[in-house]
Amino acid sequence: MRIFTKIKYVLSVTFAVLFVGVLYAQDGTVSGTVTSAEEGPLPGVNVLVKGTTTGTVTDLDGNYRLTVPEGSDILVFSSIGYINQEVSINGRTTVDVELVTDVQSLSEVVVVGYGTQEKKEITSAVASISSEEFNKGNVNDANQLLQGKVAGLIVSKPGADPNRGFNVRLRGLSTLGANSQPLVIIDGVVGADLNTVDPNDIASMDILKDGSAAAIYGSRGSSGVILVTTKSGKAGQATVDYNGYVSSENTARVAKVMTAEEFKALGIGTDLGTSTNWFDEITQNAVSQVHNVALSGGSEQTTYRASLNYRDIQGVAIGTGFEQLNARLNLTQRALNDRLSLTLNLSGTVKDAQGLYDDNAGFEDAFRYATIFNPTAPIRSDAPEFDVYGGYFQQLLFDYFNPVAIIEQNELESQVNLINFNVQGEYEPLDGLRFLARYSQQRDNETGGAYYSKFSYWIGANRNGLAARAEEREFNQLFEGTGTYDRDFGNLAFTGLAGYSYQEFIDEGFFAQGGNFLTDAFGYNNLSASLDFPNGLGGVDSYKASYKIIGLFGRINLNYDGTYFLSASLRREGSTRFGVGNQWGNFPAVSAGVTLSNLFDVASIDNLKLRASYGVTGNTPGSSYLSLVRLAPQGNFYYNGNYIPSYGPASNANPNLRWEKKAEFDVGVDFSMFGDRFTGTIDYYSRVTTDLIYPLTVPVPPNLVGTTELNVGQLNSSGLEVILNYAVISNDNLTWTTGLNGTYFLENKLVSLSDPEAGLDFGGRRLISNLGSPGQNNTPLIEAKEGEEIGRIWGKVYDGLSEDGKWVFRDLNGDGTIDDADETVIGQGLPDFQIGWTNTFNYGNWDLNFFIRGMIGHDLVNTFRAFYEAKGVATSYNVVNTKYFNPNLDDSPLFNSIHVEDADYIKLDNATLGYNLPLADGTLLSRVRFYLSAQNLFTITDYTGVDPEVRTGDSENNDDPLAPGIDRRDTWFLTRTYTFGVNLGF
Amino acid sequence: MKKTFLIIKVFLTGLLVVVFSQACTDLDEEIYSEVTPDQFFQTEAEFISALGNAYTQLNGYGGSGNIFPLQEVSSDEMVVPTRGQDWDDGGHWRRLHQHTYTYEDPNINGGWTFCYGGISTCNRLIFQFNELGVEGAEEFIAELRALRAMYYYWLVDLYGNVPLVTEFDVPADFAPANNTRQEVYNFIEQELMDTKDLLTKEVGGAAYGRVNYYTAWAVLAKLYLNAGVYTGTPQWDKALAACDTIILSEEYSLAPDYFDNFVADNASSPEFIFAIPYDEVFQQGFNLPMMTLHYLSQNTYNLQAQPWNGFCSLQEFYESYEDTDVRKQSFLVGPQFSSSGERLTDSGAEAGDPDGPPLTFTPEINELGPQAFRQAGARIGKWEFELGATSNLNNDLAVFRYADILLMKAEILFRQGDAGGESLRLVNLLRERAGVAPFTVLTEEDLLAERGREMFAEHTRRSDLIRFGKYNDAWQFKTVDPSPHVNIFPIPRPQIESNRNLTQNPGYAGGTGG
Repeated sequence: MRIFTKIKYVLSVTFAVLFVGVLYAQDGTVSGTVTSAEEGPLPGVNVLVKGTTTGTVTDLDGNYRLTVPEGSDILVFSSIGYINQEVSINGRTTVDVELVTDVQSLSEVVVVGYGTQEKKEITSAVASISSEEFNKGNVNDANQLLQGKVAGLIVSKPGADPNRGFNVRLRGLSTLGANSQPLVIIDGVVGADLNTVDPNDIASMDILKDGSAAAIYGSRGSSGVILVTTKSGKAGQATVDYNGYVSSENTARVAKVMTAEEFKALGIGTDLGTSTNWFDEITQNAVSQVHNVALSGGSEQTTYRASLNYRDIQGVAIGTGFEQLNARLNLTQRALNDRLSLTLNLSGTVKDAQGLYDDNAGFEDAFRYATIFNPTAPIRSDAPEFDVYGGYFQQLLFDYFNPVAIIEQNELESQVNLINFNVQGEYEPLDGLRFLARYSQQRDNETGGAYYSKFSYWIGANRNGLAARAEEREFNQLFEGTGTYDRDFGNLAFTGLAGYSYQEFIDEGFFAQGGNFLTDAFGYNNLSASLDFPNGLGGVDSYKASYKIIGLFGRINLNYDGTYFLSASLRREGSTRFGVGNQWGNFPAVSAGVTLSNLFDVASIDNLKLRASYGVTGNTPGSSYLSLVRLAPQGNFYYNGNYIPSYGPASNANPNLRWEKKAEFDVGVDFSMFGDRFTGTIDYYSRVTTDLIYPLTVPVPPNLVGTTELNVGQLNSSGLEVILNYAVISNDNLTWTTGLNGTYFLENKLVSLSDPEAGLDFGGRRLISNLGSPGQNNTPLIEAKEGEEIGRIWGKVYDGLSEDGKWVFRDLNGDGTIDDADETVIGQGLPDFQIGWTNTFNYGNWDLNFFIRGMIGHDLVNTFRAFYEAKGVATSYNVVNTKYFNPNLDDSPLFNSIHVEDADYIKLDNATLGYNLPLADGTLLSRVRFYLSAQNLFTITDYTGVDPEVRTGDSENNDDPLAPGIDRRDTWFLTRTYTFGVNLGF
Repeated sequence: MKKTFLIIKVFLTGLLVVVFSQACTDLDEEIYSEVTPDQFFQTEAEFISALGNAYTQLNGYGGSGNIFPLQEVSSDEMVVPTRGQDWDDGGHWRRLHQHTYTYEDPNINGGWTFCYGGISTCNRLIFQFNELGVEGAEEFIAELRALRAMYYYWLVDLYGNVPLVTEFDVPADFAPANNTRQEVYNFIEQELMDTKDLLTKEVGGAAYGRVNYYTAWAVLAKLYLNAGVYTGTPQWDKALAACDTIILSEEYSLAPDYFDNFVADNASSPEFIFAIPYDEVFQQGFNLPMMTLHYLSQNTYNLQAQPWNGFCSLQEFYESYEDTDVRKQSFLVGPQFSSSGERLTDSGAEAGDPDGPPLTFTPEINELGPQAFRQAGARIGKWEFELGATSNLNNDLAVFRYADILLMKAEILFRQGDAGGESLRLVNLLRERAGVAPFTVLTEEDLLAERGREMFAEHTRRSDLIRFGKYNDAWQFKTVDPSPHVNIFPIPRPQIESNRNLTQNPGYAGGTGG
């Protein structure tokens, strides 16, 4: 968070002054206006009578009014970012002052784990993104605010499903387990759900990138940490802000398949007599609207901000979208001469989504089958044979369903309720010593309902109606206490932190599914009407699991003369998820920096800091109880003429399961040149993850089941990150700033997944991620090989076609036959570079921002092509028709290197033009801004599939991170969005 | 400075209070939806329930991914052609039929994990029952040992040289090496001899679906019948004695109608020595309609899932039945209709398919792949498909059937030189039931063919072909095997990789040995 320095000091002085101030009476009154050349009237400026504790703060219009005790003559005006000014009253009753910007003191404060630090003191790799820098447009997920903005952070979501989240990965892959996404902390609440905060309410996001910064969060910091600070109220007059927009989203890229004419010209598939563009039939112009109203303000003791967010979002697929209401209250109360502050953060979210039942059931299939459905087929038919399908045209072919029927006949809905509260008290018994205690709870409840019609030929076919309900509840409570001590010893500034953290998680759920209904009328709302339950064919399930994480931590920061910095921290953390004796782990970190520009005077260099850090973070397994022997019902057993339940082991117990650890080294340079016009940061990181927790295949017997969660192997990753910002033009009329961030992913290596000493052997390499049905099972797409980069796309090499149109593959080993030995690396699923380039222009009241984002160096397996780009499939399916389509191919689809494509892309991710309406004094409004924003205006890529976005894991295998680079058939089309928005301040 | 230290002291003291409070560092796990062994094994019902876990592994017997395709698709009775874009699956179905399988092929690992999953459970339960020392545990343990021997019988047949693991409490890094086929054979024989008399002699009723005395003898009969293959030394006398133990007990008899064994409600068949009591609700796993039926057949039987259009029989095998043989109804051929009697139309029929779009199963299969017709091949219709069936049939599936024992005895007698006496009578018993004329004299060829006709799709064909020396011959879509090493399957890749002490079977790539 970029707040300004000493805010606490200033506020405390102000309030102290006011307390005392009322004691004085019957003295002279002085008033006036404080302004600055750049900003005009300055609100929040402290005005203090020198030598006393009497003072006040300017209001929103920069005005102040102050009673000056007799005998006092000097007023001190201070505000963060401005040079303090002392003015003699000289008997005046009106004292107007113009403050001058203080470049030196514009040092930003960065939120770090359990505290804040001035940016100049930071010795680890931390990125701060403030709300001004966030991505704009129709943004419904806080992750999207950061997309492309942070070097080293990949935020991706292939396709445009509004109900699906983003994949976030920082600095490549550091674990194969469940926690490959960064830890999220919202206003100090560890492990928070980013969905609980509306993007409109976020003031800033800080990303702790390296191991030393994240190590204070110990076990969960391995994949990085994102700290979210929500907007809070400021003392002063109440203000009302309104932000709202409407957006229009349309399909921008669809799969390339044959038109009805092209399909008929092939002469292979059945001409069903019409012409249907299935893509048009399942999509719509999605119109969304978002409104945010925030009320904030407060007195010296109490500040508040309350906001209400309403989102009515349509998806580009017909009948999909969500409606969401989110309310947030941030309240701070100060007492005991500001030595005590109490903070309350409350947020509630209710969301009704259409088109998603749970994580595994959305309408992706509609896009899949719209791609392959016969383009000459009608959507509906009056012929009596289609009555059983509700009048929708269907053909009884394998894996083939009318996409319009999929969406229109079936209901997939979910309701999400998220409630959070966080109460926190901070007490400063002595100067420099502060204690903080926090208790927070988060409750996420999600209820899903699905109903597949009696006429559905897709899911629920012959089930005579099928209904399902699912409820998931996630609960966690956090208690934390910290103590901080700040003190200066001459030139040495010392900050010490110690703390304790206790967090408990409970996940539980309930699920029921049954079919065979007399009527569709109930939808999913009356499961007792399902005959499956009395017939024993209904499904019911429930579960509950819990775990705890307990941490003790401490940190010391030293700052010598503003030039030399040292930080060291240690977290000792225990998790219930490990075996007894292995529950506790230590996570140390140390970092140091030196501001070279203080030591050597080089012209044109304003600031140059060199820093290096080392930190260890950890990872826990994705599920509880892995160290314990557990028995669970496993099918039934016929005994004495009856079926009775049989109980067997739930997993192989691994009492030796221990922490996965990641050690990270980072070295970086921060610089600023030419009067701070040119700033930048360069970081190199190198990470080594050991004791990887991975489900390795083990022999049965002696084991009970075929895989065990074991600590095996090692992952290495390294990269180079560069951030450059330059103020190209900066004058009164026009400013142009440009910023570039780039990441070069040097290494993402699977060093080992074996532990020879323990007799655990991965076997050097494994072929994983099956292509699948129809017909290409047992067709692995990825080689995971020890000692090699992750993401080796694997297969045979295309070498043309034979005369009769059969596949010819390269005989790599020259043995005259084509077999598995002729397979090789035919692509790389992970990118080499990520680039983000932002430009901001200000001209008068106009501003223009555009943001270009790109990923370079990754390939994708285009699975649509691998399955359907052969004319022979026309007997059942439409034919994929990209530039690679070869009419001479007269063979079955067979995956090979021709289906692996370079997926480099550069896209104009966002362009926003804004206008600030000049306002006359005395109007009700303090701010009026209009803007027009376009997202994904164009994408430049050679990739022929729908979305060239990086696939960080295999979506058909639980997002297996060892198998990136596969574009499965579940991607929504890529869209383009135009947004018109207005911001109003009252 | 003094004040500073005071502050630090206060601060640390405050922390220590927190640190040393026990509750604050308590990391015990609380379990909700599973049980731990110390909470279990409290009642007899829990014991029996634990025993059941050794049987539930058998549910995979009627599935498409383990020993069924290994015994059937590798033989001359069955094939899974590649039908255009369907069933290529990296070629492993074709390799299985053409005997070019590799240690990477998924069914080969499926068969292994099916057997060892059961063995592992048996070992665990034997250990636990011994530890608990409960009264009556002896019989449970005998039953588990006999069941384990059955799993090992499948292993010795399919893979030959497999590791014998009989203990549960082994070190964590225990990595068993292969035993020889002879050693595995000896173990199975010994275990069954040791335990058979402790097993119940009850037939049906409470013993239905459990390993009883006669099941132990049936496994022994199979083991001895194939002893020449497994060990190089035939054991015809022992095999005969084993068969006779079952036959002379008069506990079993031939069902009057061949299909009594295969209808949905077949639990009362007098032929079942050991059967898996499948049920669409309680005991799921027999998914034959999914494997064999055409996509459109969903409408013939109103199936709740769309079948996969895979497994079918070979023309020559289909034609080995006389038209009057009732057992020929084990195949679905000819025009196919919906449940309401309308002709089904396959709009995806290939241009070259002689029958065109009207769905017609033809015994002729145009090619093994990649362009086998969608409608090609006689389908496996031996088990009744109920109207509205789910992908899990209600039909029980016999593992050992009395008719098989009769044919085995006939074969044994034949090998011992009897071609026209009792052996001929036994074979003709089955031919008579099938409605075809009796043989007047037996030949080796007749015996194998009759076994084929009677036991089609019942997990025996590969073993029979090997025993009759025909497994390496050419048949449709398959040439003569250049080497007999294919008579046992390779040790699967995931097993070799997870156990460094395993040696690959001769003639196969992958791992050490080979």
